[in-house]
Amino acid sequence: MLITLNINGESRMVDVFPMARLLDVLREQLHLTGTKEGCGEGECGACTVVLDGQIVNSCLVPVAQVNGSDIKTIEGLAHQDQLHAVQQAFIDHGGAQCGICTPGMVLAAVDLLNRIPQPSEAEIRNGLAGNLCRCTGYMKIFESVVRAYQK
Amino acid sequence: MDRVAHAVGLTPEEFRRRNFIHEGETTATSQIIRERVEMDHLLTRALQLSDYHAKRERFARENQKSNGFSKKRGIGFATFMHGAGFTGSGEVYLQSVVSAEATAEGKVRILAASTEIGQGTNTIFSQIASEALGLDFESIEIAQPDTGHVPNSGPTVASRTSMVVGKLVESAVLGLKQTLVGSGLLRQEYNDADFKKACAEYIAKFGSLKTSSTYQPPPNVHWDDEKYQGDAYGAYAWAVYVAEVSFDELTYEARVEDFVALQEVGRVLNPVLAAGQIEGGVAQAIGFTLFENVVWKDGRMANNQMTNYIIPTPADIPPIRVFFEENPYAYGPGGAKGIGELPMDGAAPAILNAIENATGINFNRIPLMPEELMTGLTRFFRIDM
Repeated sequence: MLITLNINGESRMVDVFPMARLLDVLREQLHLTGTKEGCGEGECGACTVVLDGQIVNSCLVPVAQVNGSDIKTIEGLAHQDQLHAVQQAFIDHGGAQCGICTPGMVLAAVDLLNRIPQPSEAEIRNGLAGNLCRCTGYMKIFESVVRAYQK
Repeated sequence: MDRVAHAVGLTPEEFRRRNFIHEGETTATSQIIRERVEMDHLLTRALQLSDYHAKRERFARENQKSNGFSKKRGIGFATFMHGAGFTGSGEVYLQSVVSAEATAEGKVRILAASTEIGQGTNTIFSQIASEALGLDFESIEIAQPDTGHVPNSGPTVASRTSMVVGKLVESAVLGLKQTLVGSGLLRQEYNDADFKKACAEYIAKFGSLKTSSTYQPPPNVHWDDEKYQGDAYGAYAWAVYVAEVSFDELTYEARVEDFVALQEVGRVLNPVLAAGQIEGGVAQAIGFTLFENVVWKDGRMANNQMTNYIIPTPADIPPIRVFFEENPYAYGPGGAKGIGELPMDGAAPAILNAIENATGINFNRIPLMPEELMTGLTRFFRIDM
């Protein structure tokens, strides 16, 4: 089926299998490989994207459901060469190691800061609880979020 | 260790203090420790940082008031070491090689097989090379570790990348500098621009400039493969980790509430990356101590999905407070020793000791799931009745 997606502010028409996962359409048809696949079953959050203003696991979204939707992926977060404050903080404070969780973690952190501009430590932990990281032990991710809103 | 301490009537702390290894003493493989080891100091500092003594007293008092529906608390520690690099003759057999070459733009390119997997290899190698040459960080390039182009510097394992391969990076780039100085194109005193110019001139004159460095064991490091005795590792990192836990008497769930990780790792090359390695390792070790239960069925892992193999989320990990002591190691680059595996060793024993402190029961198996805690504790009560 032919669907239209408004991806990172750009309208794209794609010919898709209706039950294809949004994740696969993003990565394989639109070549937006910033979105990662971790578990493929909605547990790890690596495939997080923003769908009509809400963060979702794109591995759980059949693409037929999102015809006409606004989708923001990690590629749409920076303004040209100007990284988002959260992205810059992850770089500056060791928030990323292997990088597989990073796109989803960054989008979840941005979503958290949109909802709660100055989250407490508990709010950061809960806000990111749907995103798993195996490398960092989370400490530098929390620090990156704090540094991002302090800026 | 805590069980032995208990059996001989000493506190966990005193038992460790009487048995710590010191410089000049030998290990189980007859290795003479030739570096300064200050486990006593590490233990004192770690217990201070974690407020161990005051908490031990307070928890003992408060746990007595428990009514069977409350949370008991406990604090425990582990003292340990981890050798870096391959064991025994491993590094001698590997004969790792690192090369450094000058580029026409006057940059230095490192050729090594060590792979960047997020732990910071590229940053550390660039840092080692730029410090050794006195050049800007940006003047160092790291080649992709394509084995068609880079020499065999061994695998990216065994806490060896910074200490063993990094040392080869250091000597390879120093060889580059020596060649330039020897050719008369570079003076002993130079700046970034002089170095760039000298590289360009050397390449114009001789075609290319590349030096290599091959692993040699530090002096005094010997290993007997037949008797399996000798210097098991060139150097050890030393550490004391302290875990504070809460134990829910209703759900039998143990949670780590605070974690202090103090270690001596030679010189810390990059504080952010080093802390990142420790925090990540401690979180994985908390995972395999309290969360991660591999279920085997017919020789296969039955729960090989993230839905049923549970790893810690951001909501599960306590504050991991990382501290370093520095004692530069003469044969590591810039004084560094290996740290990659170290944090995996200390968390489980520290947590189990803390659980013993909270519950009075010594558990000696991981993963320690609520089910095991319940079985262990109810069995204890039955015997008690």
